[in-house]
Amino acid sequence: MGIRVAVPGCGFGFAATREATKTGLELALARAVAIARALPAGARRPPLAAIPPARGHWASACEVDPFALSLDERLAPLLAAEKGMHGDRRIVRGVAESLACRTITAFASSDGAAFTQERTECGGGISAFAAANGELQRRSYPSAHGGSVALAGHEHLLALDLAAHAPRVAEEALSLLEAPPCPAGRTTLVIGDEQLALQIHESIGHALELDRILLGEASYAGTSWVSPGDIGTLRYGSPLLAISADATLPGGLGSFGWDDEGVAAQRTMLIDDGVVRATLSDRQSGAAIGVASGGAARADGFARQPIVRMTNVSLEPGEAGTLEELIADVRTGVYMETNSSWSIDDRRLNFQFGTEIGREIRDGKLGRLLRNPTYAGVTPQFWRSLDAVASAPAWRLWGLLDCGKGQPGQNAHVSHGTPPARFRDVEVGVLR
Amino acid sequence: MSDEDELGLAQRALAHLEGDEAQATVTRERSLLARFARSAPTQATAIDDISVELLCVLDGHTGAASTNQIDEAGLADAAGRARAAATAAARHGYGTYPGLPKPVPIHPHDGYDSATASLDPSAAGAALAAAFARCADAGLEAFGIWTAAEVTTAIASSTGVRVTDAVTDAHMTVIARGSDGRSGYADATAVAAAAIDAGAVSAAAAAKVSDESPGPLAPGEYPVVLDHTAVGTLLGFLGSLAFNGLAHHESRGALCGAIGTMVAAPCISVTDSTRAPGTLPRSFDAEGVPKLPLVLIADGVACGVAHDTRSAALAGTVSTGHALAPGGSPDGPEPTNLVLAGGDAASVQELCAPIERGLFVTRFWYVNTVEPRHALLTGMTRDGTFLIEDGVIGGPLHDVRFTDSALRILAATEQLTSARRLVSDSDLYGRRHAIGVLCPALRADAFRVSGGSA
Repeated sequence: MGIRVAVPGCGFGFAATREATKTGLELALARAVAIARALPAGARRPPLAAIPPARGHWASACEVDPFALSLDERLAPLLAAEKGMHGDRRIVRGVAESLACRTITAFASSDGAAFTQERTECGGGISAFAAANGELQRRSYPSAHGGSVALAGHEHLLALDLAAHAPRVAEEALSLLEAPPCPAGRTTLVIGDEQLALQIHESIGHALELDRILLGEASYAGTSWVSPGDIGTLRYGSPLLAISADATLPGGLGSFGWDDEGVAAQRTMLIDDGVVRATLSDRQSGAAIGVASGGAARADGFARQPIVRMTNVSLEPGEAGTLEELIADVRTGVYMETNSSWSIDDRRLNFQFGTEIGREIRDGKLGRLLRNPTYAGVTPQFWRSLDAVASAPAWRLWGLLDCGKGQPGQNAHVSHGTPPARFRDVEVGVLR
Repeated sequence: MSDEDELGLAQRALAHLEGDEAQATVTRERSLLARFARSAPTQATAIDDISVELLCVLDGHTGAASTNQIDEAGLADAAGRARAAATAAARHGYGTYPGLPKPVPIHPHDGYDSATASLDPSAAGAALAAAFARCADAGLEAFGIWTAAEVTTAIASSTGVRVTDAVTDAHMTVIARGSDGRSGYADATAVAAAAIDAGAVSAAAAAKVSDESPGPLAPGEYPVVLDHTAVGTLLGFLGSLAFNGLAHHESRGALCGAIGTMVAAPCISVTDSTRAPGTLPRSFDAEGVPKLPLVLIADGVACGVAHDTRSAALAGTVSTGHALAPGGSPDGPEPTNLVLAGGDAASVQELCAPIERGLFVTRFWYVNTVEPRHALLTGMTRDGTFLIEDGVIGGPLHDVRFTDSALRILAATEQLTSARRLVSDSDLYGRRHAIGVLCPALRADAFRVSGGSA
């Protein structure tokens, strides 16, 4: 159990204990108060933004309960997929993994809130590693970094049909060993939805966290190039850029009934017509600029206090049709999919991404494979170069399991929905 | 935790897997962490928690389960889950885990400080007050953390391993920041909280904040002086990319085919040592194997990689005591007490002296791997990047992006400071396990800047 206290005249204190007894909780409360009182007084803290007391129970949808299945049933799709990646000695490692996680929380506050929640997460993925002649290539399905995980039951893993994709994944890893490197230069870039999900996460989601904007995370995760006065006026990207934060999205890892401060789940447009309309906030940061909480306070477990996190931050679909139609309008360019590398500065401005696979685009068609593709840019210039967003049928929701923030560190599970999109005049092939 | 100590709990947990090949690992964390921003406390966290991890081994497969419910019912449930996982895996043939290691004597160390273990909140308060005062003196605001912890790990196994390791660690980070966003960084890590001088850390951070406006630096190759923190980050990446025995065995490592050859400048010698003065001592790894000194690079020549029991068996050698998890991490072993030998430079200023035009980097940020086989990394500089002109650190630069190989930077290294510092991340995800790199600052004649931010 974790206890957060606001001590009059002091800041917040938080203590966590596994001793969920009256004595254990009293000791934890005493520790939370003691550390809050021991710290020097800072500037007067505004009261938390007021909220109606949350009551009730919320549970995520779960069609096939993974915990009602035998381990053999859960292992079978993984073993079949792992086997399907081998056969060539240059495949030096095959990984098939799945996640089934159920979190049950109970929350009570002196505001009068008392509720329980049950979230079930399931999913998985595969990766093949090929090595030869000093070269190493990795190919994954349906995405890297743990595969596709959703707020769902075992049905989500089964629908991925990992075994059916295993031979292709291995073949592509082997083909990449022989592929030419991605050429360097500025060109048109079409980004697959899985990679674009991480691009949204790093260069929009984090930049619009209000605690970062207010410098509260400068000691670790960093700040933001966005300032509080930019809300309502800052042109973040082209008019095609529309970004929502939606904690009510079915299947999203950032979905819940109430956040970890008891604020009801909500959907908010963060960016519309390319202009910043709102930020991700909690009761503390919202109060600091005089707005209601955006319902984005989340903790990664009982031993961590809630901080501002992403929920499901998504690029709304456009009207440019399919991925093929995005590519058809490109004379020369590069298509990239499946993240392999990511880096961005502490203000969320200067980024560089690498993907597992690239393909040359020539005269509106995909061409030869390109290995070790990378692209780099500066956030507002990049999003202002967005010139086509694929339509709703191409929109998919991608889960991320390792969003790190806070001290002590917290890993948030979040999702991002997006279709593929196209960007003009982007720097690619930034290797050396 | 009542009258039962951590080893007693581990033995009680192990009893639930009687008759199996099994290991019980108990980790108790008691920690205190205070964050601050804009010279005011923001979040304070006190944790007291226990993890029990049970590992069952069957036909070369491992099954693991964990709990913090330490009554008999909780332990029995975890044991059942571990056994079921190993049994399910074993139904599909023999695995590659060679079996739990036998007991080997471990040696005491000086990595525990009882005053730090008292977790006195007033020590946090005093440290924050000192940081706020020092930064205010310089017209700056203070951001950062102060943290201290006691972590006790006990392992009991069916092969007879019975070991306990109690350690403490303390860390402080200060970022001094001006109203225009200029910032400077300093940190300190030690076994004892009393060894951290909050005023000195804060003064060092404030000294990295220049009154001048930062200038741009065009992409290109430059001589560079990397301060201790930046060097520690690069070495930390080599821990997983180059010195991971499983990746090396699977032809994925950056030293594949290079053992016995020059991979760095002759002034570079890297070891992993839990007993080097100034590091965070540890007695054993996650399999209860003693952590012995391991030579990784000697005078620029690659000498070896780290192993846990599984990777050692695959490679036909023995564990070096670098398992990251009971039964070994699926991702392989890593050295977690890297030590880079110091050189002959008396100061960072002496390192800068031969440079006509180059850059000085305080720390890196958001470094990530671009090509693991070549230890090719990308990342940004942060909180103190300066131009070096005519041998002297000059005006501040906007942060720059680098895309370069950590091994290539070590190959281009010309000189190191004699003084070394313990560099430790303060991210502390999951159960606290403080690690650090003991390293000097260095000068390299070529560092690849691939972009920047203005």
